[in-house]
Amino acid sequence: MLITTPARLRKRNIIGMNKRNVIYIGQNNKRKYYPRVDDKLKTKVLAQKAEIAVPRLIGVARYQSHAKMLKEFLADEPAFVIKPSKGSGGKGILVIVGRDGDCWLKPSGEKVDERGLRRHVSDILSGLFSLGGKPDVAMIEELVNFSDVFDGFSFEGVPDIRVIVYKGYPVMAMTRLSTRASDGKANLHQGAVGVGIDIGTGFALNAVQNGRPIEIHPDTGKVLKELKVPDWARFLELAAQAYEMTELGYLGADIVLDQEKGPLILELNARPGLAIQVANDHGLEDRILTVEEEFRKVSRRPHERVVFAMQNFTRHDREGEIDN
Amino acid sequence: MRSKVELTLVIVALLIIGAGITYYKIAVLGFSMHPDRLETVWSVESTIDFKADGGPVKITFNMPDNSYGLVVTDFHEESPDYNFKVVGEKYKRRAVWTSKGKVSGPQRIYFRADIYRRGNASTLAGEQKPALPKINQDYYTGIYLDAAKELIGMAKSKSKNSLDLACRLIDLLNAPENHPQAGLLLKIKRDTGGRLDLVRDLLAMARIPSRIVRGIFLQEDNRLKKLTSYLEIYTDGKWNLVNPRTAKVENPKAFLLWQRGGEALLEVEGGSDSKVRFTSMANRISANKAAIKAGKHKHSWLIDFSIYSLPLYSQNTFKLLLLIPFGALVVVILRNLVGIQTAGTFMPILIALAFLQTTLVVGMILFITVVCVGLIMRFYLSHLNLLLVPRISAILVFVIFIFLAISVIGHTFGYDAGLRVTFFPMIITSWSIERMCVLWEEEGGKDVLIQGSGSLFTASIVYVLMKNQFLGNLAYSFPELLLILLAIILIIGTYTGYRLSELRRFEPMGRD
Repeated sequence: MLITTPARLRKRNIIGMNKRNVIYIGQNNKRKYYPRVDDKLKTKVLAQKAEIAVPRLIGVARYQSHAKMLKEFLADEPAFVIKPSKGSGGKGILVIVGRDGDCWLKPSGEKVDERGLRRHVSDILSGLFSLGGKPDVAMIEELVNFSDVFDGFSFEGVPDIRVIVYKGYPVMAMTRLSTRASDGKANLHQGAVGVGIDIGTGFALNAVQNGRPIEIHPDTGKVLKELKVPDWARFLELAAQAYEMTELGYLGADIVLDQEKGPLILELNARPGLAIQVANDHGLEDRILTVEEEFRKVSRRPHERVVFAMQNFTRHDREGEIDN
Repeated sequence: MRSKVELTLVIVALLIIGAGITYYKIAVLGFSMHPDRLETVWSVESTIDFKADGGPVKITFNMPDNSYGLVVTDFHEESPDYNFKVVGEKYKRRAVWTSKGKVSGPQRIYFRADIYRRGNASTLAGEQKPALPKINQDYYTGIYLDAAKELIGMAKSKSKNSLDLACRLIDLLNAPENHPQAGLLLKIKRDTGGRLDLVRDLLAMARIPSRIVRGIFLQEDNRLKKLTSYLEIYTDGKWNLVNPRTAKVENPKAFLLWQRGGEALLEVEGGSDSKVRFTSMANRISANKAAIKAGKHKHSWLIDFSIYSLPLYSQNTFKLLLLIPFGALVVVILRNLVGIQTAGTFMPILIALAFLQTTLVVGMILFITVVCVGLIMRFYLSHLNLLLVPRISAILVFVIFIFLAISVIGHTFGYDAGLRVTFFPMIITSWSIERMCVLWEEEGGKDVLIQGSGSLFTASIVYVLMKNQFLGNLAYSFPELLLILLAIILIIGTYTGYRLSELRRFEPMGRD
């Protein structure tokens, strides 16, 4: 079958692009709140104020003159990340993992001298990486010490967990694993693997690559069903807290796992995509409607919302394999 | 919820206004959906002959009026030795010629009126129930008054309504041999002014307003015509044209009213032996052209405040501009209902505009060449880490070079089609190259191919639509269709169903 029918998709509660844009984004996300997630510095400040776990902000370079003070400022920081506040598509992110005399080291082992570091910050400030070339600011934050629980599940890099939060309730989650075919990028339609994660347990549900179900990672050979997110409730609670912080009703939270600090919110997204439905083999609409009903009835705190979500949005068809 | 109601109201209003104006223009103003439909227009030429006495001459000539189904759209005159002007307004206009010097001998003046038939052009500016014509009571005394009363009584006894009564009255007067009263009254017709005046007087006594008009019935026979007299009888709120010779109500659709009531047809000062001849000719012209002409003449606000009031060259610009929303509709449908990805929302429309100049196949080849070469050059720029504006500017320079190269190389090898590359919008092309390059770096070459071919496909559809003669004429003749188009765009704007592409994308989820 090349195409399916709208009736079948409706039966599976699949949300299409138009519905997402007109109803879920259009009616829930006020445009004035968008900068809260589009500007990573704003997100960071808000999160720290709300005591939501994020990678620590070391500093912000706002003016070209700040670039000259970098060496002194970063003297006590062994590892850090410099990124544009309004960057897109992961452009302009410089990761420093250590020092070698006067130079800094990139993960590849390549050395960056002070001039190189200054130029990078200067490029960010002049808007080289921001959308539309607008002037930007450079954020310096601590490097996440990624936990090793996901080792082998991804061809390159460390996977993050995407949680869709509807009116404060985590409704669906997945992780995207890069492959050789996706050129190390975690983009599903380029051939990355999408793994749905059960809201009730944090265990992998099913995995898809290019829209087809798969069992093992094509490059690493790991059995994808073995993927389990530890400390799952904390992941969900973090995601749920983002609702109070951003006031965005339809939200995607990207969460990473730090070895010591546990889950940290890396990024928020006001227009999360729909591929998560394919990765979960489940539509979003029924869960959203359940939340809609709850939302009208009671007002809950993040923790209570997580409990509700874990009870209601778990997958019954795998009950035998999931112990809670 | 409130905004939804509001939107529905707006959509309904747009649809009603758009469809209403279109309907009005077709039904009342005579526009046609079909650009090739022809309408008959008549030219009535009047030839005025007279003998000048040798002094200055002034001729005044009554001009035909809009009447019943006919509109006088235009007139021309030919009189080399005379100054021409029009005095009076609306239904009282007269053409006036004054001689430039002293003239003598036979003179001839031509006056031509263009006439167009239109449904209800007869609206004689809110005419109230007219007053009864004045009767000269001196004539109707004694036996004459009795005869008149008897005739009216005879007509009244058999008639159903006042129009019928009028017709019967005329009938009676037409047959004096059967009705002595009629014969008696006709004896004084020289004094009352004529038989028609007699009828008018009798109708006035029966309290029916009437007046004498003169005009010609237009036919497609190009024959000489004479002005003939008719009676207009006012009953039930409208004027009826009655032929006094047959006592029948005439269909006035083709009746060109030239003279009404006491207006003099022709007055010649300083000349004699004047006479007027009329010839009518039928022509066929485009229905829409005729409708615009007629509308302009009637001062219909829909025509006066519209594209047709603009000078011709800007009308031609708008002919194209009015099509662009249709292109936008195509983009909206392809993006939101079909789910085709394009590079830049309205870039396909601009490409389609360029295709209009280059033709489709040549345009495709040229565009693909420009973008591919541009992309290669742009990839080199990536290494230089330039700021956005200098980067785009550099691409712009590249694009100009590519245009130049294609033109020169093409021309050298005898393919002048290459010269048409200049019709592509340079800035948009530069931006497209930039966007595609960024897309390539962020998402990979496959996405560039998808968006690129999506853009070209969309552009081709828009091109075919803009090239379509029928649609072009429709948009130009009925710009209000854009309101309907806007309503459709608004409807699609609220469409929350699946896109066609999603039926493919989510196909695995539709399996049982």
